[in-house]
Amino acid sequence: MMETLLTPLHYEYMLKAIFVSGLIGGVCAFLSCFITLKGWSLMGDALSHSVVPGVAVAYQLGWPFATGAFITGLLAALGMGFVKSKTRLREDAVIGVVFTAFFALGLLLISLYPSRVDLRSIVFGNILGISDPDIWQVVIISAVTLIVLGLKWRDLLLFCFDPNQARAIGLNVTVLHYTLLTLLSATAVAALQTVGACLVVAMLVTPGATAYLLTDRFGRMIAIAVGLGVGSSLVGAYASYFFDGSTGGCIVTLQSAVFVLALVFGPKHGLLAARAKRRAASLA
Amino acid sequence: MNPPASDLDVSVNNVTVSYPNGHVALHDASFRLQAGSICALVGINGSGKSTLFKAIMGIVKPAKGEVRIAGRPVRDALKLNLVAYVPQSEEVDWTFPVSVWDVVLMGRYGYMNFLRIPRAEDRRIATESLERVGMVDFRERQIGELSGGQKKRVFLARALAQRSRVILLDEPFTGVDVKTEGAIIDLLRALRNEGHIMLVSTHNLGSVPEFCDHVVLVNRTVLASGTTAQVFTEANLTRAFGGVLRHFRFGESTVQKHDGRAVTVLTDEERPLVFGKDGHLEYTHREGREDVVEQRAETEDDK
Repeated sequence: MMETLLTPLHYEYMLKAIFVSGLIGGVCAFLSCFITLKGWSLMGDALSHSVVPGVAVAYQLGWPFATGAFITGLLAALGMGFVKSKTRLREDAVIGVVFTAFFALGLLLISLYPSRVDLRSIVFGNILGISDPDIWQVVIISAVTLIVLGLKWRDLLLFCFDPNQARAIGLNVTVLHYTLLTLLSATAVAALQTVGACLVVAMLVTPGATAYLLTDRFGRMIAIAVGLGVGSSLVGAYASYFFDGSTGGCIVTLQSAVFVLALVFGPKHGLLAARAKRRAASLA
Repeated sequence: MNPPASDLDVSVNNVTVSYPNGHVALHDASFRLQAGSICALVGINGSGKSTLFKAIMGIVKPAKGEVRIAGRPVRDALKLNLVAYVPQSEEVDWTFPVSVWDVVLMGRYGYMNFLRIPRAEDRRIATESLERVGMVDFRERQIGELSGGQKKRVFLARALAQRSRVILLDEPFTGVDVKTEGAIIDLLRALRNEGHIMLVSTHNLGSVPEFCDHVVLVNRTVLASGTTAQVFTEANLTRAFGGVLRHFRFGESTVQKHDGRAVTVLTDEERPLVFGKDGHLEYTHREGREDVVEQRAETEDDK
């Protein structure tokens, strides 16, 4: 029994996959607290799809995948900002138009030059086959993101909560806006490796959303989200060995299951707690 | 760090603001406020009140003209923590996972180091500010768990903690009970005596003469500005509000037995509810209410 449970840990590729998944899961979860509070979930989805053409071009040219992904991610973000300020379209329409344009271009590029990149691994992730240079890119992105968030989380929190106050005390709100946007595209690129473009948004939203249901304090929200992100990614990557199933699918299914538990059993904002409160109110 | 009281002023000079879609929200607006004043910013919705606020806070850049605070451009004034802002309740996300204490400490960010870690001094000033608005006992509450008046007081405490000499308040009396309204007015008066400048955007016309010594009337530009006695006249208000303002002229109403010098009630948004002598419900116009007038005339005669 014990022997079977330890089998995945005997393989170097499994150890790498579990370590990288846990790291990305934690970083994404940290960022997800800001993304859910700022209302940028859709933006996260958009950016994770917009990086695809960049990845395709980068692999084609032999660049580190992160550079290409990062460039197209930011181009998409700037493109959305530009279209939104110059037209009377609503934000969701702008995001929808721009990110699908980038994603479609990515698909087209990959289908035209199929030899170098595998479409499946970009769209659905391929953490079990991650190469050492790719691991280094993920580690660097994660480290930079953690440092920026660790140093500047109070400013970013104020920016999410009350941008006018941030401005009134002399903070540069434009810089904060682009800092958060840059972190978002950087982590989207990193998460692409683990769960693929389709499921990145789950890593960037679900842990924060779950933690938000469980607490009313930002500090605790970060702790819960990061714990959940790391835990579900480690366990998901490990368990995918036995299922012989998609690692990304495993991790996100786990995260979603915890979300459902929080939704139903959350001590203060859960469905059962709300029902008990209503009942108490009707009896009083 | 703050300039001496005598130097403090807010001057808005020929400010024109237009938005990217070409809409001119404010045209050639000018006024000046001096230390130790409470000024009401009065106008209908869409008259440019909030645009004026945004210009003073540097959120929008004037296409023409400039705002100067204590003789400095807005940007520099913000860096010196000269301006605090108390937002409208509708603008705040009350479900945000922050406590009363977190919000008040945000007022101190401008004084904190790069990492925004509060020092003993910041905590002392934050506590003092909460004491001043009577909210110390609520410091651990999540902001959504407060009443309308308490919410307002928390954001006032944040402005106090910021130690700013210029305080902008956006509709401070909406959703606030009468007792809190009185407490807020007392606080504003105390701050005025300490030499602060407060600019209060409001459409609560009745409260303006009660606590504001200056008034700026806006309708796409500054129509009039000056002391309340000079500016807050029926003629000026009619100009600022046009047909939007509701009148209750006693001479035309069902109220009887007033002398020839008729009293007028003016109000924005809501119709005034007027009870006359003996607690009668009174109507704006006599026409169509002849029976009421007649009946009351009879009962009056009986006495």
